[in-house]
Amino acid sequence: MADRAPLLRTGVLLPFFFLIVTTVYLAAAFNIHSQFAGDGEMSPRSVPILAAFVMYVALAVVFFNEFRKPTADGPAGEMLRPLLVIVATAGYIALFRPLGYWLSTLAFSSVLFAIFHYQIRKPHLFALYAIGVTVLFYGLFAGVFGVRLPTITEGFF
Amino acid sequence: MDIFVDVLSGMTALADPYVLLFMIGGFLVGTFFGAMPGLTSVLAIALLLPITYTIDVVPALVMCASIFMAGMYSGSITATTINIPGAPSSMMTAVEGNVLMKKGFGANALGHAALGSMIGGAIGAVLLMAFMPVAAEISLLIRTPGKFSLVLFALVVIVIVDKGNIAKGIVATVLGVMIATVGIDVLQPIPRFNFGTELLVEGIDIMPLVIGAFAISEVLMQSESWKDGLSSTLEKAKNIKIRRRDFLPPRSEIREIGLMAYLRASLIGYGIGILPGAGGSMAAFVSYAMARSSSKKPHEYGNGSREGIAAAEAANNSMCGGAFVPMLMFGIPGDPTTAIVLGVLVINGLQPGPRLLENQAELLGPMLGSLFFSALILIPLTLWLFGPWFIKIVSIPKGLLYTGIAVVALVGSYVATYSIFQMSLAVIFGVLAYFMRKQNYSTVSMLLGFILGPDLEEYLRRSLSLSDGNPVVFLTNPDSLFFLALTGLFVWAILIRKPKKGLAEMGSDI
Repeated sequence: MADRAPLLRTGVLLPFFFLIVTTVYLAAAFNIHSQFAGDGEMSPRSVPILAAFVMYVALAVVFFNEFRKPTADGPAGEMLRPLLVIVATAGYIALFRPLGYWLSTLAFSSVLFAIFHYQIRKPHLFALYAIGVTVLFYGLFAGVFGVRLPTITEGFF
Repeated sequence: MDIFVDVLSGMTALADPYVLLFMIGGFLVGTFFGAMPGLTSVLAIALLLPITYTIDVVPALVMCASIFMAGMYSGSITATTINIPGAPSSMMTAVEGNVLMKKGFGANALGHAALGSMIGGAIGAVLLMAFMPVAAEISLLIRTPGKFSLVLFALVVIVIVDKGNIAKGIVATVLGVMIATVGIDVLQPIPRFNFGTELLVEGIDIMPLVIGAFAISEVLMQSESWKDGLSSTLEKAKNIKIRRRDFLPPRSEIREIGLMAYLRASLIGYGIGILPGAGGSMAAFVSYAMARSSSKKPHEYGNGSREGIAAAEAANNSMCGGAFVPMLMFGIPGDPTTAIVLGVLVINGLQPGPRLLENQAELLGPMLGSLFFSALILIPLTLWLFGPWFIKIVSIPKGLLYTGIAVVALVGSYVATYSIFQMSLAVIFGVLAYFMRKQNYSTVSMLLGFILGPDLEEYLRRSLSLSDGNPVVFLTNPDSLFFLALTGLFVWAILIRKPKKGLAEMGSDI
């Protein structure tokens, strides 16, 4: 994908994201006010401001190196599966308490199996392994370590 | 001397079946993660970090130490048998071990790797126990400006170790420092960067950062290449037959390698372990390179040198002992595993430093004992018991494996604090770490920046406060000046000085 626009590749987008984060961070740092400050004492905002400036300098070098690079990232298609995993994970977190451990983990395991193409042609094995993963880790957390995991009744009532 | 005796008596806790179970369990988990290409002992400890919230500190530390030792050793298994290093530190073992495997001496190569790991690991643990009281005495002499310069030295070394990527290393480290500034200020009761939400007032815990950076990002990385090379690896694994009796290296071969070679490799590994950010890969590489340059049979290197395997494996396992020195004495982790162990200490309210050794030797003794016994007993024992089946580990389907890891990581991040917020943070850090890894930003640097950032800030502000804001204090204070000079020396040695020709060529080969 060497012909992809040089500004729209992760090599540039990621430092650009860091640049935005650093700017927000720096703005927030200027809003920190010390309750007391003696002679020569650094205030609570001094180190964050210093860190932000070091970050700017390092990012400038990263940008410089990125724009000098002739080639861009790998094929765009490789991002689909990680994106699906991120969406599945976000859904799992959102449903973890409302649905409880059992249902949410069973659904999450099934979705990940599908994303990883694991046993998708053998539905009985697919279901068996998804249930197996759910039971195994319930046994580990709740059984062995005595952790209280959310249940469906807690989530709805 | 009293401390040494206290540590030794603390080791008796390993006789407790409950603690022993964690040592053996940790070792087996570490072996599995170390042997499985793509998984590391860091990931194993990261996944088990939430569990340490629910168990006592002694079994938690014992488990971490045995995972560390096992992870360093077990990378050699797949490195030798299928030429895929289970851990980066086994790269040199793959170079020599797999050649031996192809010649029909696979079990012999595994035996030499285990023997080297056993000797190196045990020597590293003994050196750690022997020199820790001395290190504790020295650390008491370091005053606040010196502590600042020491932390600065650690951060600089972490960044410059990855020579070709310094700007990205700085970005990752400073990002870690910035994340660590969220929450209450280190010296004043002022919340910083909470953006109006109470959830961030207490700051960001190490646990979601570790889970995200090492576990969730790994699942995302693997989802990209879920099918790559799987069938050929499975085929290779199916066809390999290993017999137990072949594991034991003949005496003549051990004599040929020589006791001094094991000792030298162990000392190199231990010394490199003390350096922040260096880790097992560098220990193995330096030791291998030195063994090769001083070998009586240099022509064997690259063609299945048992001496090369012994040098690499003894060094990377001895590194485990060295890495604990700066972490326990100064709170400066030498590598990501000890960084997470530091997290376990902090979670349990223990502050690293000489006082920890003085007052809580009974807590540290079992951990040090776990390092020693894992190396001396569990490495040969697991090779003997499970060796013939080790190779089957790689045949576990990725879909099943990474689904399991994702569930453990997410549920683990929930159970540590019963917080959906922590779970969400773990995913946010996981996604961030995934993109960082894809662009060669070191997530280890981010973690170490996160851990060392608050210390750096505190010592800087305290030093300047005590000297009325005069920064010259860092130059007039002898211990501070020493660490600043050491920083300069490392910058010169790593960045400015040109490496010897032979070493540079070998480095580019791997």
